[in-house]
Amino acid sequence: MSTVSNTTEPVDFFTKDKGGRSVARSFGNKVLNVICVGLAFLTLIPLLSIIYLLFHKGLPLLTWSVFTELPPAAGQIGGGFGNAILGTLLMVGIALVIATPFGILSAIYINEYAPASRLSNAVRFVAKLLTGIPSIICGVFAYAVIVLTTGGFSAWAGGFALAILILPTILLTAEQALIGVPKAYREASYGLGGTNFQTIWRIVLPDSLPAMMTGIMLAVARAAGETAPLIFTALFSQFWINSLKEPTASLSVLIYNFSTLPFDHQINMAWTASLVLVLLVTAANISAQVVFRKK
Amino acid sequence: MAHILSTFEEALRDLRNNALMMASLTERNLENARKGLFERDEDWSNTVIADDEEVDTLEVQVDREGIDIMLKYHPLASDMRNVIATMKFSVNLERIADQAVNIARRSRKLMARPAVPETAELEPLYSFATKMLKDAIQGFADNDLELARGLKDRDRTLDDMNRAYAEKVTDRMPNDPSAIPTYMDLIFMARFLERVGDQAKNIGEDTIYAISAEETRHQSRPIV
Amino acid sequence: MTPTLPQPRADFLKVQDFNFYYGKKQALFNVNMEIPERQVTAFIGPSGCGKSTLLRNFNRMNELIDGVRHEGQILLNGRSIYDKKIEVIALRRSIGMVFQKSNPFPKSIYENIVYSMRIAGINGKSVLDETVERSLKGAALWDEVKDRLNESALGLSGGQMQRLCIARAIANRPEVLLMDEPCSALDPIATAKVEDLIHTLKKEFTIVIVTHNMQQATRCSDRTAFFYLGKLIEFDDTQKIFSNPSQKQTEDYITGRFG
Repeated sequence: MSTVSNTTEPVDFFTKDKGGRSVARSFGNKVLNVICVGLAFLTLIPLLSIIYLLFHKGLPLLTWSVFTELPPAAGQIGGGFGNAILGTLLMVGIALVIATPFGILSAIYINEYAPASRLSNAVRFVAKLLTGIPSIICGVFAYAVIVLTTGGFSAWAGGFALAILILPTILLTAEQALIGVPKAYREASYGLGGTNFQTIWRIVLPDSLPAMMTGIMLAVARAAGETAPLIFTALFSQFWINSLKEPTASLSVLIYNFSTLPFDHQINMAWTASLVLVLLVTAANISAQVVFRKK
Repeated sequence: MAHILSTFEEALRDLRNNALMMASLTERNLENARKGLFERDEDWSNTVIADDEEVDTLEVQVDREGIDIMLKYHPLASDMRNVIATMKFSVNLERIADQAVNIARRSRKLMARPAVPETAELEPLYSFATKMLKDAIQGFADNDLELARGLKDRDRTLDDMNRAYAEKVTDRMPNDPSAIPTYMDLIFMARFLERVGDQAKNIGEDTIYAISAEETRHQSRPIV
Repeated sequence: MTPTLPQPRADFLKVQDFNFYYGKKQALFNVNMEIPERQVTAFIGPSGCGKSTLLRNFNRMNELIDGVRHEGQILLNGRSIYDKKIEVIALRRSIGMVFQKSNPFPKSIYENIVYSMRIAGINGKSVLDETVERSLKGAALWDEVKDRLNESALGLSGGQMQRLCIARAIANRPEVLLMDEPCSALDPIATAKVEDLIHTLKKEFTIVIVTHNMQQATRCSDRTAFFYLGKLIEFDDTQKIFSNPSQKQTEDYITGRFG
């Protein structure tokens, strides 16, 4: 029971709280405060260190040749990784082209058409499971489905593997984006005699677009950086891309390859490639935010 | 069942109690005026004139309380009819109290002159009017529809009694010209009592409206 | 000069032996009523009494919820609203609805109003312009927004947004206008403007308004229906309901003796 003071003296709010309880309680409060703030700062440290390291190690070799030249052979210096940049862009592009329609249309089904149906519940459940899928499984699956049947490594296979990887993310974030659209908008549209399709196409989708873009950008960032799915699907190539049916270079595989070589130049190249990868993903993110910002 | 808002319930109760207090004061004043007239006692008449102020104060109070209730609580249906009927009730009572004052004033003039036997003949009218007022008040207080309805016919009877009395007194005038001022005063008294009956009838009509939302005012007599 | 309209029907919106269920729970019990044309009818009653449920049945909005079913009939101008030959879409286009919390689309004022026309396939600029002007004038909002039709509707004040929703609802010239507590989220001045609007609108539209505000019902409506626990208790001229109701339950509710 709190001991409420019933004297007529004014309560001293600075050292005692209302119940006349001791100062020790608010000391505990302060300690917790300090711990929280401290930990928050601590989490910044690895993030900032990574960024620092990337720029420190990667910037020296960042020249135009990086975009225009091919990877140097073991032992050589100079060169660049233009084909890897192109390869990443292409395969992430393929992944998006495959996964985005599936993801968004499925999200529309499970949220707008039949939110409580067994099918929708199953889709949600499976999608949530698959977000945790080890990326190498995507690679193995794509290997079985595309590489074995077509008889060779290719950018298609790589793109396909990445698509499997990012589909659950796109679907679930698209669903959240749709949920974020106020019910009131839909009601208003139905009240005016709108069909399901018109309501979704004219009202719900446009309003959910910024949030959907966020989800897609998340997916892009993940896809661009994964190595495992590409190892047995797109493999690698030292040359410029001729067709999508050939083994294709990618930034992530390049970084993996170069960083394990015993040559300093290649290792530095790996740092630069890492920096380029991070900058590319950031640029994509920012431009998506700018283009699709909520008016 | 009481109102959810207890302050509303209290306000309605206070309004009604004040109106009923006003009613008993009015009855008392009319009774005192009667004593002043028939016992030729100036003290009673003076009391009536002095006590009228109390009635006026209460009328203002009832009016104010009624408006306050309308503003705060927006009464509807039976509550609204009751509040309005109570406010009108107080207006009618105030007019009756004024008639008592009129009677008291004229009584003082009568007392200064010699008595005439016709004064006593006013008693039946007075009793009739007093009884009408009493019943009108009781009808309001008890929500008695029957009692309220009966007042209309009784008012007609009182009108007839007033007319008959005035004729009788007028006929006596040539016999005793020196008493004509007194006879005039008596005729006025009868008029005052007739007005008391009218106000009592009005109270009855407002009571009927409050209870049953029936509109009974200004319904003309059937043409016989 | 406005063309003379035909004699108004006393049973423009007719409810016959209507029962309504949310799954197993029955929400409306044997409701029978006739709502007259071009008058304002108010639905009053305590929370959960079924007034909003009945309102939302008039344009079959309740069918957006799973597991609902109904028995009985609702007729609009003599035709059943459940007639298989009528599309729900067409029905909803001929009935306008204004909700408790105003819900303009996150689009421009112009686009909000012409939405109902665009979804009907009407896209001609002059038709749309005329509609916008007519609807905004009809909703007493034209003067305030005529210079910023292309600005977002979300930038309007609460009262303006609700009047925009009214303009949007009448853009398609519906036969009936349904209003579900349209003023409950508005300040007194905005409320007064909407009430004033209702007086004007009823010359052209049949209006049914659900309200918790008794004074609003007395001011705005010609007829009032009192609902309790899913049943229609009393339905009569507004003057009669509020000065001398026939049913004790009605009297108890409007004088505040409920509970």
